Amino acid sequence: MIANAADGTSAVGVTAVGVTAVGVADVLRALRAAPGAPAGGWRLETTGAPSLERMALEMEPPRLEAALPIEGDALSQRVLDAVPLVGFHAFLDGIQSTRVLQYLPGGVPLIFGTVAAVVRERHNRELHTWNGAPELSTRVYLPTSLTPADHLRTFDAAGIPVHDTLDGADASDGQHPQLLLTLARTAVQRERERLETSLAERWCATRDQSVYVDGGISGAGLAARSPHAVGVVKSHRTLYASGDGVGVITRLRAGQRTTAFEIRSARRTAVASWYLRLRDGGDPMFALVRIEVARDTFTAERADEVSRWVLAERTPLSLPDQRWHTMAYGIADCERYLRAIAP
Amino acid sequence: MTTVLGRVVATERRPNTPHEFHFWTALDSPVGIGTIVRVEGATPVNGALPVAYGVVTEGFGYTDLDTPLHDVLGHDGQPGSAHQSPTRRTEIRLYTAAVLRHVPEEPLQPVGMGTVHLADDADVAAALRMDGYAFGENKTAIPVGLYRAGATSSPVHLDADFLLGPEAAHLNISGVSGLATKTSAVEWLLASIFAHFPEKKGRVAAVCFNVKGPDLCFLDQPATRLDDSDRALYETLGVPAEPFQNVHYYAPYTARGYALNTLRSNEALAHNVHPLTWGLREVLQFAEVLLNKDDIDAKADALIDFIKERVVDQPFSDSVLEHDHTVQSFGELEGWFRDLLHGMEAKNQESWRTHHVATIRKVRNRLTNISTRCRGLVTDDGSVSDLPFGEFEDRAVYVVDVANLEEDAQDLIFARIVSQLRERLESRTLGVDHVVVFVDELNKYAPSDGPDTYVRAMLLDIAERGRYLGLVLFAAQQFRSQVHRRVVGNCGTALFGRMDPDELATPGYATLSPATRTKLSTLEKGQLMVRHPHFTQPVFVRFPRPAVLSGREGVEKFPQALEQTLEGAVTRALRVLDPSVTLDWVKESIALAEEDEVIRARNKTQMAKPEDVKSYFRSQLKRRVAPKSAESRPRLAPLKSSPPDDPYSF
Repeated sequence: MIANAADGTSAVGVTAVGVTAVGVADVLRALRAAPGAPAGGWRLETTGAPSLERMALEMEPPRLEAALPIEGDALSQRVLDAVPLVGFHAFLDGIQSTRVLQYLPGGVPLIFGTVAAVVRERHNRELHTWNGAPELSTRVYLPTSLTPADHLRTFDAAGIPVHDTLDGADASDGQHPQLLLTLARTAVQRERERLETSLAERWCATRDQSVYVDGGISGAGLAARSPHAVGVVKSHRTLYASGDGVGVITRLRAGQRTTAFEIRSARRTAVASWYLRLRDGGDPMFALVRIEVARDTFTAERADEVSRWVLAERTPLSLPDQRWHTMAYGIADCERYLRAIAP
Repeated sequence: MTTVLGRVVATERRPNTPHEFHFWTALDSPVGIGTIVRVEGATPVNGALPVAYGVVTEGFGYTDLDTPLHDVLGHDGQPGSAHQSPTRRTEIRLYTAAVLRHVPEEPLQPVGMGTVHLADDADVAAALRMDGYAFGENKTAIPVGLYRAGATSSPVHLDADFLLGPEAAHLNISGVSGLATKTSAVEWLLASIFAHFPEKKGRVAAVCFNVKGPDLCFLDQPATRLDDSDRALYETLGVPAEPFQNVHYYAPYTARGYALNTLRSNEALAHNVHPLTWGLREVLQFAEVLLNKDDIDAKADALIDFIKERVVDQPFSDSVLEHDHTVQSFGELEGWFRDLLHGMEAKNQESWRTHHVATIRKVRNRLTNISTRCRGLVTDDGSVSDLPFGEFEDRAVYVVDVANLEEDAQDLIFARIVSQLRERLESRTLGVDHVVVFVDELNKYAPSDGPDTYVRAMLLDIAERGRYLGLVLFAAQQFRSQVHRRVVGNCGTALFGRMDPDELATPGYATLSPATRTKLSTLEKGQLMVRHPHFTQPVFVRFPRPAVLSGREGVEKFPQALEQTLEGAVTRALRVLDPSVTLDWVKESIALAEEDEVIRARNKTQMAKPEDVKSYFRSQLKRRVAPKSAESRPRLAPLKSSPPDDPYSF
C-alpha cells in the first residue's frame, strides 16, 4: 500500500504494479477463516453472474440541460480545418470492476471492487505507462453497520481494506439490497474518479504537454483548471442544449463542432465545453463527443485546435470495442492495459 | 546476469508442456527462428529454481485487431494513410520454443512462468549437452560451426564418438544443388575433424568419391576468396584456415589410355595424381556389380565361380584345350575362352564340365565385355594401380575421381574400394583406424526405390555396421526423401543446407515447424541446420568457406591439359618420375613400338617408380633392331674394255 500522492493521505488498498495487491482469493481465504463460516468455507455466491457494472441497477434518465454559451449567443455549428493535428502527448483513463462475493443475512452484499487508472504516454507513436506504473486499488465494499463485527475483524486482521458504502451512516434498521448494490457501485465509481483525478493532477503539475482524459474534467480538481488537460466525454445522457440547440448538435457532420458553452455546477469546477462530430453516421449520437477544457484557457482558436487534436485520434480505430466510434485508440489502450494488470 | 529478453506466457488454449513453451519479447528483440534461449523459472521445484533451455521454432506477430477489415476501415481503404495515425497499434511478438534441456532433468514438468534470456556461451553448451564432451582432457568435440544470435556467438561441437563411432556414426547432408553448400560443408567438416579428432582415438583418413565436376579436385590448393569473417570463424573454432596438407588423387585412364580421366589434369598438379587401374583378378571379385540379375542366373554364376577359383592366376590344362593357360588378364581370359570353345566345337561337345556351351558363350560375352565398358579402369594386361591399402596415412585425403566415368565403372570402383576398406579395417591393416567415405549424389547410389543393387546393399551395410569398424559414411544428396530410409536413418548426424520447398513438403520433415521449414528453404550459403544425437532439437550454425580452392575457381586457375598425343602423354607421365625425360627422348624411344605396348610400358613404369626411369621404361618395350638403309656396294672396277678392234672380244 502506498501513499496517495494526490492528497498526501494514506490510501489504503492503493498500490502500484509490482507490489502485491489484495485479490479476490485473499478475501475468500479470510472469509473462510471467519467465525461462523460453514465447513469448507464460504463459497462465491455469484459465480457466473454479471458484475455490478452490468447489472440493471437504477440509472439516471437521459435529459437536456441548458448551458451558458460562451462563443456567440446561441449554439451553432463551426466547420474545422480538414487537416487533423496531433497534439496529445498522453492518455488518461481508469477502469473499475466489482464482484459480489457473498450475501450476508438480510441480503447485505459483500463486494470486492478493483479500481485502476493509468496515464499512457506517447513516444514515437508508441504508448508507454507514465511513471512506469498505474494506480490500483482493491477493497471490499460493504455497509459497515449491517455487517457482522466478526467479518470486519477478520478483514482487519487479514489486512484487507474495507470501504463503508454508507459513509458511516447507521442503517441497522435494514436497507433494500438493490439500493445497497447501487451504493456500492457508486462508491467504486468514486474511487475510480479519485484515482483518475489524482493522476490528472500529477500530470498537470509536472508536465506541460496535453493529456487526453477519458470523460469530463470538471471533477478533476486542479486538472480542471490546467491548460494541459482535455476531457473527452463519450456518453450523452445529459445533453447540454435546449430548443434549437439539440438540432444543431444532432445535425453536426464529421469534422464540425458546436460553439462552446460553459458547464458549471456547485460541486464541480466550471469548464468550457463543445460538441464535436468525429464521423458521419445515421444515429444522432454516433461518433459524437463533448470536449471539456479549463474555462480560463478557452478561446475559439483553442477550441478549433483541440478539436483537430481529437479528430487526429480517430485512427487507428479502437475496434473491436463497441464504443469505437467515440473512443480514441489511446484510451482503448489504457483500458486494455489496466485490464491486463488488474487482479 | 543477462538482460531479460522476454517472459514466458501460457494460456489454456496455448499451454506450455515439458517439450514446448511460449514467450513474448519486445518488437526489437534479436530473437528469431533458431535462437537458443534460457528460461529462469520463478517457482522453486525441490528447493531449486528450475532452468529450461529452448530453441525458437515458431514465431507469431499480431495486433489487437479482430479482423483485417477494421484496419481497412480505419484508413478509409487508403493503405498510404497508415503513417498518419498518431499511435501505432499494439503489436506482439510471440514465440514458441522447443525445449532443449531442463535443469534439473527430474521431475520433468511443463516449463513454468519465468524470464527469458538470450543464451550465452555456457548456456549454449548446456542446452546442447556439449558440457559432457566439449571440455576437459577427454574431450571429443569436433567444431561444426558457430551459433549466432544477437551478441552471442558460440561454437557448436559434435561428439566424435557419435560422428565417427563407435557410439553412433555417419553424417548425411541435404541441400539444393548449385549453392556448393554440401561440398563446402563436408570439406569444412573434414578439416575440423583432422584438426580436432583426438589422437588417442586413433588415426583417421578420408576417401572422397568425386562424382561430378571438379568439386573435390583442388583440396590441396589454398582458397582465393577467404575473407576476414571466414578467418575469424576458423580462429574461433580452432581450425587452421589452410588447404589439406596430404591429398592423393586417383583416376582411371581415358578410353584411349593416354591421359588420366580427371579434371585435375594440369601438369602443375600432376605430382599427386595417380592412375587407378585394375586387372582381371580385381574386377572378377566384383563381377556381380557389373552384371545384372538377368546376366547372372544360377548357371552363369556357377561358371564364373569356376573361373575365379580354378582358372584365374593358376596354370590350367584340359583335354579340350589346345594348350595350357595361365589366365591373369582379360586378354588371357579371352584366349582361354576362345581355345575352350574351339576345342568343344572340334569335338562336337555341347557341354564342358557341366557348363553348356550357350552358358559359356554368354559368360564370355559378359566378362570380356567388362574391359570394353570400363576401358581405362580395367586393363587387358592385368596391371594394377590402386589406392595404398595398408599404407593409409593419418589425416590424409584420398580422392577418387570418377566424375567422367560410365555408371558401371563408378559402381565397380565404389564397390571394390569400399570392400577393400572394410576388409582392411576389419583386419586392422589399413594404416588408419577410421575412414570417412564421402559420397555425393547418394540418392543415385542408394535410392529409396528401384531394384536392389550391389552398391545400395553395400551402402546399407556401411550405414548399419560400419561404425563398429571405423568405416564412416559421409553422404550428400539433394533430396533426402529419395534416399533409402535405412541409410539416412542410420546417420547419427544430419546437416541441412538450403532446401527445396517441395522436398520440405515430404513427410520426413513433418517434425519441423512451418517456420523452421521456411528458414530452411531460405538459408544463406554458409548456414546449416544440424541434427546430432546430443541435440534434442536441430540447431542452426554458420560455418566458414572451405580453405581450399573451389572447383570452379580451380579449373580456371589450373586449366585442363589439352588432348594429348601418345608421345606427349608418356612424356608427361614419366616426367613426374624423372624431370629429365623429354618429348624427343620419348619419341625416339617409342618410335618402333605399338601403341598398346607403349601404354603398357608407361603404366608399368608408373607403378614401379624405378630409380632409373628411362632404362626401366625402355626395358618394357620389345627389343627391336633399328632398321638401317642398305649400304651401297663398293663399285667394282670395270673390266678393261677390249680395243675396239679386238677380234676376240664380244
